[in-house]
Amino acid sequence: MKFVVSSTELLSHLNAISKVISNKNTLPILDNFLFDLRDSKLTVTASDLESTLITSIELDNTDGEGVIAIPAKILIDTLKEFPEQPLTFNIELSNFAIDIYSENGKFSIVGQNGEDFPALPELDEANASKIDVPHDVLLSGILKTLFATADDELRPVMNGIFVELSTEDMTFVASDAHKLVRYKRADAKADVAASFILPKKPAGLLRNLLPKEEFDVKLEFDDKNAFFTLTNFKLICRLVEGRYPAYQSVIPQNNPNQLTVDRLELYNTLKRVSVFSNQASNLIKLSLQTNQIVVSAQDIDFSISAVERLNCTYDGDELEIGFKSVFLLEILSNLSAAEVRLELSDPTRAGILVPAEKEFEDEDVLMLLMPMMINS
Amino acid sequence: MDAFYASIEQRDFPHLKGQPIAVGGSSDRGVVAAASYEARKYGVRSAMPVKTALKKCPHLILTPPRFKVYKEVSKIIHSIFHEYTHLVEPLSLDEAFLDVTEPLLGPASATLIAKEIRKRIFDETQLTASAGISYNKFLAKVCSDVNKPNGQFVLPPEKATDFIAELPIKRFFGIGKVTAAKLHDMGVNTGADLLKMERSDLVRNFGKAGGYFYNICRGIDLREVNPTRIRKSVGAERTFETDITNAEELHHRLKGIVEKTLSHMERINARGKTITVKVKYADFEQQTRSKTYANYLDLSYLVYTQAAELLDTYSDQFHRGIRLLGMSFTNLNLHERNTPVQLTIDF
Repeated sequence: MKFVVSSTELLSHLNAISKVISNKNTLPILDNFLFDLRDSKLTVTASDLESTLITSIELDNTDGEGVIAIPAKILIDTLKEFPEQPLTFNIELSNFAIDIYSENGKFSIVGQNGEDFPALPELDEANASKIDVPHDVLLSGILKTLFATADDELRPVMNGIFVELSTEDMTFVASDAHKLVRYKRADAKADVAASFILPKKPAGLLRNLLPKEEFDVKLEFDDKNAFFTLTNFKLICRLVEGRYPAYQSVIPQNNPNQLTVDRLELYNTLKRVSVFSNQASNLIKLSLQTNQIVVSAQDIDFSISAVERLNCTYDGDELEIGFKSVFLLEILSNLSAAEVRLELSDPTRAGILVPAEKEFEDEDVLMLLMPMMINS
Repeated sequence: MDAFYASIEQRDFPHLKGQPIAVGGSSDRGVVAAASYEARKYGVRSAMPVKTALKKCPHLILTPPRFKVYKEVSKIIHSIFHEYTHLVEPLSLDEAFLDVTEPLLGPASATLIAKEIRKRIFDETQLTASAGISYNKFLAKVCSDVNKPNGQFVLPPEKATDFIAELPIKRFFGIGKVTAAKLHDMGVNTGADLLKMERSDLVRNFGKAGGYFYNICRGIDLREVNPTRIRKSVGAERTFETDITNAEELHHRLKGIVEKTLSHMERINARGKTITVKVKYADFEQQTRSKTYANYLDLSYLVYTQAAELLDTYSDQFHRGIRLLGMSFTNLNLHERNTPVQLTIDF
């Protein structure tokens, strides 16, 4: 088989899907791209068995059809070095010899039998849910929650984003048991309630692909796999099996002590003060007083301490609560509102951070952080 | 302390004085925790199965251990140590390193301090102790065995080289049975032989410990006496009345062992990342299997299921009969008092 393709166009497609290739593959064939040429269309697949990314390019100049596995690293390394120009791929399917002809040269690679590439999972139509999700909903849902997922081999369900569809809205939840994020969008909903747990890796892949997307994403899923169809890409991933914990019940409802503060001011204060926190615990203390918040940290080992005052709106009880500064900073940097509201009940219960005002009507974002306690 | 547990028993029960006694498991399946000097003459050693000990010394008197009493005595001797220096590194209930470079009390001589401490221990506990005095931990420890029982030995720097050269390899502190056998195979039987080894060979064969061996045979041991030695593991184990082959029974026993370990962990406020399960078969062969997790194992049911999983990896060997089962935590995070703890969401 034979085809002519633009060097940069092919590279940009391959770069996007190569992120799925694992550097510790158990199956050597997964170090390859699967090239499938049919009806003037080149489809390229990359997979790590758990996740698979597929992209396709329409070509004008093709001859024959077939499938072949081409080593990913050498192909990308070669394409990177070409300025924009048409490349001719001449592939001998009988011995898997691949010759790439550029303007001035010839590059020869040996591929593998494309038939050996693992078959793609298929959607179990009988038990499938299907929904068109606005691309920005999916992207925001992932961006807001991915950082809060866990790395817990004992509770794999925590290592993914819980995606819950209802007739009212679409909710993304992630938690590592220290922090929890719930991101709701009312501008995406399903006909029937359904949910799945999206593992970290495919979530990260989508985060990279979605910013360039302009249309709704077709989302289909069954008990085992989810299929995301974008304009130029398709992502198929195995879902995390198991039940996601009942996250609703851990979000405290009545938090009498509510403080409103400029998000960036608090962020910058925390950044400065946390330099003085103990390196192991990262503990910073927030002391809440009327319309004032005192942020302090100390590291007794080095006899260093820092304290900074910050104006805010607060008329609740005076209270002092400790947080791990890195977690609090992470949360503040994943919120985008100018002002945030911190809702607390007491120093032993979760603190909730929400935008002081909704940035737009359909969005509802809530971040929860467990405090740190002094042991005595 | 000299034959610590056994001496305490002989002190408290005068009819045991001068008798070959062993403190240890009450049944004949236990092991000897300590043997009196009279019993040692017959070749009875600590960690020896009671059965073997009885074969070597048929009139051996077995007494059950009274750890509470031993701990009390240990407290007394440690408080004596602390009167002389704060740099006390406990090795066990009855053994410790003391750095008396700048003593808080007593004469400015390690030899005289050792004498004084031994006398005070005898006055306050009626038990004898031995001491080794030298310029580093390794040598002090080796010296403490030289004039045991009820004696002490001083090794000044100028005599160290000759002393180490003549020292049989198995007497080296930090070289156990297995390493000693390995060294014998390499033709190393004394300190002098060890001195001839290249550092690279030792490191290749023994890893990090190889570097230590290279140094100690030159009399070099720069480790400081560390009064806050951190605990490296927490565990519990049980020797069963009869060997167990039944998986269900083993899991049931494991549960108890896990609970004991966890309650110990809770008491010292520790969390661990690595679980090890140890089994000893009826034929005394011992195996351990461990797994390290990315996160600290906090939840007791998780600890049990993970330990049970490790135990099940031996399931095809259960038929051999399990004599002893144990589990331990390593890779510990020890929360000292007043260290802040990140709370977790209770899902």
